[in-house]
Amino acid sequence: MTDDNRTVIVAKDLADLIPVFFRNRQKEVETLRAALAAGDFEQLRQLGHRMKGVGNSYGFVKVSELGKRVEDSARSADKAGIDGCIGEYADYLSKVQIVYE
Amino acid sequence: MNDRSSDGSTAAAETAYRVLVVDDDPDMAAFLSHLLQGEGLSVETAADGASALMQVMTAPPDLVLLDVMMPGTSGFEVCRQIKGDEATALIPIVLVTALEDSESRVRGIEAGADDFLSKPVKREELIARVKTLRRLHDTRKELESRRLAAEVQRKEAIRKAFSRYISPRLADRIADAAGEHGDPFQGRAQRTSLVALFADLRGFTRLTEKNEVGAVVAMLNEYFAVLTEAAYQHDGTIFNMAGDSLLVGFNVPFAQPDAAERAWRTALEMVARFGPVAAAWRERHGLSVGVGIGMCAGEAIIGNVGSTHYASYTIIGNPVNTAARLMQMAAAGEVLVCGPLYERIRHLVPAERVATRGDVKLRGKSEAIPVFAVRAGGREQA
Repeated sequence: MTDDNRTVIVAKDLADLIPVFFRNRQKEVETLRAALAAGDFEQLRQLGHRMKGVGNSYGFVKVSELGKRVEDSARSADKAGIDGCIGEYADYLSKVQIVYE
Repeated sequence: MNDRSSDGSTAAAETAYRVLVVDDDPDMAAFLSHLLQGEGLSVETAADGASALMQVMTAPPDLVLLDVMMPGTSGFEVCRQIKGDEATALIPIVLVTALEDSESRVRGIEAGADDFLSKPVKREELIARVKTLRRLHDTRKELESRRLAAEVQRKEAIRKAFSRYISPRLADRIADAAGEHGDPFQGRAQRTSLVALFADLRGFTRLTEKNEVGAVVAMLNEYFAVLTEAAYQHDGTIFNMAGDSLLVGFNVPFAQPDAAERAWRTALEMVARFGPVAAAWRERHGLSVGVGIGMCAGEAIIGNVGSTHYASYTIIGNPVNTAARLMQMAAAGEVLVCGPLYERIRHLVPAERVATRGDVKLRGKSEAIPVFAVRAGGREQA
C-alpha cells in the first residue's frame, strides 16, 4: 500500500470499506473547516489525531501525514497552517486514484 | 456524523473466540473488524467507553482491542475498570495507541493492558498479536478445564470415601470444603465434645433363630437401611455397624451446635421409621421386634484406631460406653438418655413420655448416673 503521485494501492479485501471511508473523509474536511472557523483548536487536534490513525491504516499515507500536521498546528494554534492543510486535504481527496491489489 | 456506525455487532463467525473492538472512529472500528473477521473471529464493536464496559459486563469477550483516545470514558479508564473487576480481569486487553505515544504506553501498562498496537495499524502486526493472545487464551482455558476436571474427580473421590460414614449431603459439604480446611478424617486423634447414639434391635436373637440365613441378612439390611436414613437425615456420622447395633456420633467430625437436638430427632426418626417394618415382620414372620436406643453426651476421643492393616475411624470414651450400656437396657421403642444430655433436650421431650430412672449404676462404671427413659412411640416389645 503506497502513495505514488496520488495513486494509492489498497488491499483488494478492503474494497467494500472504501466508499464509506471516502464519504467520511469528505465530511471530515467540512468538520475541519467549521472547527477552524470557530477557532476550536481542541477539536482540530482531535480530528488531526484521528486522521493520523485511520489514514495509513487503510493505506492512505497522505491522510495520516496531513492529520499529523493538523494535530501539531492545532497545538500551536497555527490557523494558517491548518487552513493550508485543509486545502491540501480537499485537493488530495478530489484527485486520489485507488488501485486494488 | 460519519456514515458508518461503529456500534453493534458486525460479524457472527462460527468461532467461539470473540473480540470486542472499541473505537470512536467508525472507519477504524470497521477496518479492525474486517481484518479480524478475515481471520475467522467473531467481532463486536463499541463506539465509546461506557458502551464497551456494558458489553464486557453483559457478555464478556475473549479479547478487547481498545482505543485510548475516546470522548467520555477514556481507554485507560475502561482498561482499569475491566482489570479491576475479578469477573473480567483475565480478559486480555490490547491498547491501540499512536506509534510515538510512549506516555500512553506507560499509562496503559499502569492500567493493566496486556499488549499494545500502534496506529496506523499494520495488518500483519494486528493478526500476529491477536493470534498470540488467542493461543494464550486457549492454553489458559485448557488448563482451567483440566483443573476443573481434576477438582471434580478429587471431590468425587472424597465423597465416595466419606459416604461410608456420613450422609451424602454432609459428604458433599466435606468435598466442597476439602480444599479450604483439609480432610477432616485424616487429622490426628483428638478429644472432643460429642453426642453418642447407640441403637439396636430388640428381638434380634429370636429373629436369627426363626429364619434362614438369607432371610436374616435381608431383614437386617432392611433394618439398617431405615436407621441409616434416619441418621443421615439429621447429619449424624455413622461410626460402627456390628451385629444389629449402630453407633452414630454428632458434633463430629464437624461442629454441630445443636448436636443434642439432632441426636434426639434421629432417635425419634429411627423408632418411627422402623415402626412399619416391625409391623410387617410381625405379620409375615410372627416376630415382635423394635428399636432400643441409648444416648449420652460428653468428651471422647475421635480418630483412626487400629493397625497399619486395619483401622477404623471411630469414637472412644465415656459417653460412647455409657450410650452402649443404656442401649442394652432400653426396651423396644424406648430411648434411654444420660442426665446431662437430657437437660439439653428437655424442651423437646413431652413430659408425659418421660420417666426418670433415678441414678443408675451401669455395668463397668464406678459411679451411678442419672438416667431418663423416653417412650419414643414404638410399642413393639422384645
